[in-house]
Amino acid sequence: MKADIRIAWILARGSDRREWWRFSLTLLGALLATGFALAAATIAAVRGQVSIPYAHGLLDRPGERAGVVLTLVLLLVPVLGFLGQCARIGAVHRHRRMAGMRLAGASPAQVRRLAAVESAFACLAGSSAGFAAFAVLLAVAGHTPPPVAWAAFVAVVLAVPVVAAPVSVFALRHVVASPLDHVRRTGPDRGRRAALGVVLAAALIAVAGLLLLFPGGKGVTPFALLVLGLVLLTGAGAIWAAGAFAAFVGRRLTLHAKSPAVLIAASRLAHDPWAAARTHAALLLVTVVGVGFLGVRGVLLSALGANGYRPVDLAFYTTGIDLAGAAVLVALTISLCGLAVGTAESLATRRRGLAAQAAAGVPHRVLARAALLETALPLAPALLLAGAGGTVVYLAYATVVGGPVPLLPLVVPVAVYAACLLAAATSLPLLRRVAHPAELRFT
Amino acid sequence: MSTRHVLLGLLAAGPSHGYELKRQYDARFPQARPLAYGQVYTTLQRLVRDGLAAVEGTGSDGGPERTLYRSTAEGSHELGRWAQEITAPAPFVTNEIFAKVVVSILVAAAGPGGAQDGPEPDAAAHLRAQRAAHMERMRELTALKTTPGADLSTVLAADYALAHLDADVRWMTTTTARIDTLTAEVNGS
Amino acid sequence: MNTPTEQPLSGAGVLISARGLRKSYGRTEALRGASLDLHEGEILAVTGTSGSGKSTLLHCLSGIVRPDEGAVTYGGEELGLLPEQRLSELRRRDFGVVFQFGQLIPELTALDNVALPLLLAGARRGHAHRTAGEWLERFGVRGQADLRPGGMSGGQSQRVALARALVTGPRAVFADEPTGALDTLAGEQVMTALVHTAREAGTAVLLITHDAQIAAYADREVGLRDGVVHSGPAAVLGQEAARREG
Repeated sequence: MKADIRIAWILARGSDRREWWRFSLTLLGALLATGFALAAATIAAVRGQVSIPYAHGLLDRPGERAGVVLTLVLLLVPVLGFLGQCARIGAVHRHRRMAGMRLAGASPAQVRRLAAVESAFACLAGSSAGFAAFAVLLAVAGHTPPPVAWAAFVAVVLAVPVVAAPVSVFALRHVVASPLDHVRRTGPDRGRRAALGVVLAAALIAVAGLLLLFPGGKGVTPFALLVLGLVLLTGAGAIWAAGAFAAFVGRRLTLHAKSPAVLIAASRLAHDPWAAARTHAALLLVTVVGVGFLGVRGVLLSALGANGYRPVDLAFYTTGIDLAGAAVLVALTISLCGLAVGTAESLATRRRGLAAQAAAGVPHRVLARAALLETALPLAPALLLAGAGGTVVYLAYATVVGGPVPLLPLVVPVAVYAACLLAAATSLPLLRRVAHPAELRFT
Repeated sequence: MSTRHVLLGLLAAGPSHGYELKRQYDARFPQARPLAYGQVYTTLQRLVRDGLAAVEGTGSDGGPERTLYRSTAEGSHELGRWAQEITAPAPFVTNEIFAKVVVSILVAAAGPGGAQDGPEPDAAAHLRAQRAAHMERMRELTALKTTPGADLSTVLAADYALAHLDADVRWMTTTTARIDTLTAEVNGS
Repeated sequence: MNTPTEQPLSGAGVLISARGLRKSYGRTEALRGASLDLHEGEILAVTGTSGSGKSTLLHCLSGIVRPDEGAVTYGGEELGLLPEQRLSELRRRDFGVVFQFGQLIPELTALDNVALPLLLAGARRGHAHRTAGEWLERFGVRGQADLRPGGMSGGQSQRVALARALVTGPRAVFADEPTGALDTLAGEQVMTALVHTAREAGTAVLLITHDAQIAAYADREVGLRDGVVHSGPAAVLGQEAARREG
């Protein structure tokens, strides 16, 4: 193990700028994850009825606190998506390096340990930094959590790197098998994963339905399961739609494209349709949740207004709902960052090909348009489906509660689409640098 | 290689005997066909006849009688002209292997009656055997030039031969790959 | 020096033996029943056109790739049946591998690259560096010890790669077109360094090349054509013709 840490350290010292980007972004992701987990632990450690001067008394009662904790825990999902995207930075290069290590005689276990040590250290730095920031925040707020919370804090700070290590080992599983760096992207694999999501969602809905059928089972649990099932179902469906549409459009347009930009984007999509789905998974899930959430919020507020609540009580509800809304926005932001990182990474990985195209006289304009189209084409039907899924969720809620159906949520998919294009566009300056014939010299 | 010009070049360093010239020649051009003493003698006489060299004197140093030769002004002029002259790049292609391949094809086409006795010539087999012989010689030369302490003249002489043998080997490889087409062409015309 | 083409160095035992190797990649049959013996301490050239299966043969013999059929035997063990862990150990201790380019780790300096197999085996860094430094010296690249592969010329990085392949004192070195990316002079320096060191240490070398001048560094040559090994004078040329004429 000591030898592995030593080699990992020598490798890190010689790493190029891209590797340091990965380290930094991974650190940032670990910091976010630690922050959310620590906040959840702190709130979960509060016992009984208390008076907390934040968020209009939302944290006063155990019931609402459980909701807040759940929201914070759910925020870990987009953070994990972001971390997954970070792990892909320089993946091709890292694959090659690990294959080189294997060729020099490193055993599969050694390569796994190296990868684990590398990401565990980045994540430990992130989680420690997150803990430090959180401790400062607690000191400023003047809150001293009970000992049990401190134990949880230590567990969180250690758990983040411990979880990150096997994830990065999993990402390197192909190289571990072959020292020749024959990394083949297996298309059907991604499709199978989306199918797994569908099966899981169907199972959840079935369980919820069974619970609803039983007398006395009409509690919160089956409804929550139903919603979770629906969200998963539409999420998986949207991811599948993105992949399938990318494959279909890629094939069709490769044959019939009239403009060079469309041709380049289409053949890229046809080559690896599930790459897009991979990048967009978290984003599509957030869209489903976002549309559903905005709809539920509208229905709930108008129902509360109709029931004649006092403004003070209403403030309690709106604060709770807006807090959840903020969580959705945070999730969306993190997912968009993931998309931006993914697009930039895709350009950086293909820089030799891009430089060759530029050298062969393909105008920069065409390459930029192709890069945007590559994001825009598969995302359109996926977002449409995600929007539809979210709409079903809040329509179901509206029929249960009654009252007018808000139309505002329908804007969400459009807004997300625009935001995605903007996020993808942030990588265009990188394209200008990467797609330069001089790059051919260095790669 | 023009022996007379090389001898003239060796004389440029100063007057020398025929035997000494032969020794120097063999040392300077390793792997070249060794110079016969008789050839050195006749070449020197021709140089004297043409006024490019002259007899400096005769000495015996206690041993056999030796004639000392030197270069003349005309000789160094001629030497300069020769050294600057560009060597004609392969004015005629003389390729004995190619000739043998074509002849083998012709003989084989003439049928079993064509070659009364001995084995029937086979162009492809001939090329294979020839390549093996070439490789053997290339291994020898490579061993020679990689011997520790080999001087640069030896290395360069071996390199020259290796490059030429390599060219032959390449030619044999491409010819073997196209032997069928060649057979058709030779027999068709 | 002047050894016959058909026979290996007399008296030397078989180091690695391959029998009836078959290997396909998708529908491409790279090897179709190739058999070969690499003898102790010999330098063996495997020649053939591109796509004849040369590299796949090297990968099978060095335990990088498992053949679909047939067996590679080394030291009484069949490589195809060994666990990955044991194969890694063989690669680290008994075998060295040199490719055309790109086998050095870009993040490591020349010194660390050469020290890598020792470090992987658990050697102390100081000791690994001293040994690596000696090997860089032998290949005339001591001055480049602190450079990373990106900062070296092709010839220099190939010599560093050779030093890495030989640093553990292997029984066999597998070199796949080691001079393929180099100009003639740099290639000659690399080959001379390889041949001298291998002879001195008694290391066997399997040399893959399509270049007759490089093959001439070997003691013996076999030809690979359409995934089958041919030895003897008929080795390289005209298997097509030989087959056709029965």
